[in-house]
Amino acid sequence: MTIETATKGDSITAPAGNISDESTGLTPHKEHTEQPGHQEGAQIAQFKGPLEKVYAFWLAGMSCDGCSIAVLGATAPPVEALLGGTIPGLPKVILAHPVLSVEAGKDFVAMYHKAWEGKLDAPYVIIYEGSLADETLAAATGGYWSCMGTSGIGDPYEDSVVTTAEWCKRLAPGAAASIAIGTCATWGGIPSAYGNPTGAMSMMDFLGKDYRSTLGLPVINIPGCSPVGDNFTETVATVLMFLQGMGPLPEFDELGRPAWLFKETVHRQCNRAGYYEEGTFASEYGQKECLVEIGCWGPVVQCNITSRGAINHMGGCMNTGAICIGCTMPGFPDKFAPFYSAAPGSDVSGAASRMVGSFIRPLRRITQRSQNRETRWDRNGEVPSGWGHPSEPSTSDKIAHYFYEKLQFSGSVKPGRTKPEAKYKGNYEVPGVVAGESDPSQKPTP
Amino acid sequence: MCFKNLPIEFDSQGKAQLKEGVSNPYTYQVKSLHAEEDQLRTLLAKNGHIKSVDFDPVTRVAGALAFHTVADLKEGKILSANSMATLFRGYEVILKGRDPRDAIFISSRACGVCGGVHATVAAHAMEMAFDIKPPPLGIVVRNMMLALEYLYDHPLHLFLLAGPDYSQAIVEQSNPEIMEKAWRTPAPGANIHGYANMGKLMEDMNPLTGSLYLEALHMTRVAREAYVLLGAKYPHPETIVPGGVSVTITLQTFNEVYARLIKFFDYSKKAAAIWDDLTNFFYDANSRYQEVGSRPMNIIDTGVWDDPYAYDASYKNCNEWGERRWATPGVIIQGDLVTTRLQDINIGVEEFVDHSFYEQWNSHRFKTDPAGNPLSPYHAWNKETIPKPQGQNWKERYTWDTAPRWDRMSVEAGAYARLLITAMAKKLPHNRFIESTGTSLKIQLPRATKPALELEWHVPKTWNAFERNRARAYAIGYTAMVCMDNWQHGMDMLKSGETAVSTKFEIPKKGTHIGAGFWGAGRGFLTHHLVADNGVISNYQINTPSTINASPRDPFGTPGPYEQAVMNTPILEKYSGPENFKGIDVLRAIRSFDPCMPCTTHIHVDGSDRVVSREVNTCACGVD
Repeated sequence: MTIETATKGDSITAPAGNISDESTGLTPHKEHTEQPGHQEGAQIAQFKGPLEKVYAFWLAGMSCDGCSIAVLGATAPPVEALLGGTIPGLPKVILAHPVLSVEAGKDFVAMYHKAWEGKLDAPYVIIYEGSLADETLAAATGGYWSCMGTSGIGDPYEDSVVTTAEWCKRLAPGAAASIAIGTCATWGGIPSAYGNPTGAMSMMDFLGKDYRSTLGLPVINIPGCSPVGDNFTETVATVLMFLQGMGPLPEFDELGRPAWLFKETVHRQCNRAGYYEEGTFASEYGQKECLVEIGCWGPVVQCNITSRGAINHMGGCMNTGAICIGCTMPGFPDKFAPFYSAAPGSDVSGAASRMVGSFIRPLRRITQRSQNRETRWDRNGEVPSGWGHPSEPSTSDKIAHYFYEKLQFSGSVKPGRTKPEAKYKGNYEVPGVVAGESDPSQKPTP
Repeated sequence: MCFKNLPIEFDSQGKAQLKEGVSNPYTYQVKSLHAEEDQLRTLLAKNGHIKSVDFDPVTRVAGALAFHTVADLKEGKILSANSMATLFRGYEVILKGRDPRDAIFISSRACGVCGGVHATVAAHAMEMAFDIKPPPLGIVVRNMMLALEYLYDHPLHLFLLAGPDYSQAIVEQSNPEIMEKAWRTPAPGANIHGYANMGKLMEDMNPLTGSLYLEALHMTRVAREAYVLLGAKYPHPETIVPGGVSVTITLQTFNEVYARLIKFFDYSKKAAAIWDDLTNFFYDANSRYQEVGSRPMNIIDTGVWDDPYAYDASYKNCNEWGERRWATPGVIIQGDLVTTRLQDINIGVEEFVDHSFYEQWNSHRFKTDPAGNPLSPYHAWNKETIPKPQGQNWKERYTWDTAPRWDRMSVEAGAYARLLITAMAKKLPHNRFIESTGTSLKIQLPRATKPALELEWHVPKTWNAFERNRARAYAIGYTAMVCMDNWQHGMDMLKSGETAVSTKFEIPKKGTHIGAGFWGAGRGFLTHHLVADNGVISNYQINTPSTINASPRDPFGTPGPYEQAVMNTPILEKYSGPENFKGIDVLRAIRSFDPCMPCTTHIHVDGSDRVVSREVNTCACGVD
């Protein structure tokens, strides 16, 4: 039930993981799986049975705290269930976090130090929110950009300012997993936008491509600005379920994103994608149609907010009328600026979909008109609605519909076209026998 | 008129101008902090009971906050306090040289705790600069979004962040005598909140286990569900656009929001009753609790929630449309309301960097604002952000925060500022559910599960930590009814077919355009100032409530609001020695301002003359 963490001295540049993929099963992208060594004897994590608890250290660098707030809104699972250890089968997560520390302990700082020194009684993960600053720039004039507290908490032994980047460097090598949450930590985000004075970068950029956690994993990236809270809690739960032997191997893509959450573009799951298909576009904010011509980047952005919603399946960008600004993508924000202007690619794809749409749209309307009528109304030639006066199908509608039905029921039977005669055996009806069929004992047609 | 320190006077038409005969009207001498600091050091060296206490870090106020104090533990007094913001990200620098359209989504990321309001205020700044007027329904939707944001924010603060300081788990450790009394004291509001005695009520405020804590967590999600139905996402909404919103409004939108909003009608009744009882109980237990977090009633607010038919985004008319807001803009000095005009508020604010990690800028590009009022070189339209990281020094520079001052006085911002100014101003034009009486606010809460109730919040006589929290609790009801009122306006617009939510806009490619957004965050006062030259941002300045509240000493030597409040706080906690001193009274003082995430407050105890305690983590108390 214990895990030995890598010792403090391990360099972050050395591949730390020597757990085979078979033993952890967590597979980073192929390119990476070859890298971790398989030497015996190094002090690397070894699981002995399911975990009872896991420590989690939340580090906030150049952040806005929005990722923490996003996680507070998660419902599947909610953060209090992870922290309270109330999800059957999953270990309790002991979180050292500015807002949600469950474990008080006498000494908050000592917990960070214990982790650093490899003295915790269970494995730990680190979660980084915000970008990491290039502190050498600030140190040049004797200062800092971002520190986690000053003297005391940073380093009671040395009484000096300790930057959050320094904490990341200390804790990452011994962590079972390093999770970057939000676009600042995953790709640098807004603080790393053009013109920034701080040299801000992502956790991946900071730790380098050779970084591996004690489980042999590169940085796990859960992007979004802010991310969907459930994407984070679910990923944590999924990894834990796998480690407990409950769940399948989670798959991560070549940039360390949970593949099951970030594989699809937001457009493919968009509730306005149908408008795109029919070639109808919003020209003003607030309209119900596809938003690509007023600045939506959805067709090329990997994100699941349209299917998952923002909070408890409510909201979501295009669901409510918001353009996608690519906030989950490594190119955010500079490659999506200026906002509120159409992506150049939409000229081409938009023109194509208008062309196809102008053909498809009228055909669909013809069918829709017919499907909007009871068969009884067709027979009686009247719609008994007190709400309005739907027009009777025109001759061309009737012709079109005649051929449409031919196609629809080719190889099948149109309900009502032929009248099945009931076949009796004794006093019992034998269902499904179609009149005219030679062998009524054969399998009835449904 | 309203300015005492700035060299500004008003003519008979009420137009501001510089006083005649004053050369260099805005220059000042920086008061040295050396003498004060040297005196403290002498005291520290001489007296064993005077300790240096670091609250480190206090919070991340849209970033990080640490607190340094010198305390006389024998007398129970705080002698000195320094507030430090320990994070710089450079948003203002990043926005320079960009298309103005980028301002909304980039500046929104300044704060993830109140991540909706920055987007809105940035849109306001653009609308003023480029003369874009949003349609009424767009304004109403923004109002509802902001109200729903507060409905998430206030319970979060009251029960998840500040609340634990008043819970049984904490009070039992810090003041066992008070907890003991609590179990014997009946709760006057029992018929509303359901707790027969104070002990049980405080027990249910325990972090993570108490039902009031968990209920608040749940209610934050209810409010956020309603929010994202309009804002798409929280934090950092995606539907704010220059000239309105991009929400596709249908009846379903309004219906779904309403189903969630009505849950706050009962909750507001309960929250107000709880914080009334807590406040009165503590005052009764020890009247010195009225001194915790106290400071002069110097308050500033921009107001919030625009009248859909009055807001025209212009600076020229901002005094008029400002006063038609559901929360009146204004400044209170020493308990007196001195102005409710947005232009007075705007030209009175200067930002000083003498004790911050920035370099002084030397330009004074705009001598007047667009209405012809005089502007200081330290005003946001003139200020430039020139970061210069350097070592921390109490005598010189010690924070990434700046020192915003109004009329060169230290003023405070907060949710309570909305209540105070609106109640005192009696200018509220929208009286369907809320009435301003001059000394109180009356809020009509409709029947839900509990019967209808008129809440009345009175302007308090003293201004302290408890009154901040109490006002914030009443702000839930106030905000819920503003949202309700706007919801009703929105429904009326749907009835009359006024369904446009945005106005088309263009960014002019030539000329200089300046604009400002004045709007309230969850924590109050918020402004963005934009200067665009030839279609490119040449300066962008963000002034947040926490910039104001967490500010360091100004050049005149006056401490910022947190610093003042902490220095006025008596130490009422019971402790046997420095090693078990928690500093709970100081923490209550700081947290009453609603710094974003106060739970990492640490007090370090180490060595003989330096109290550096290990930790006070309120969130974690009572568990394990």
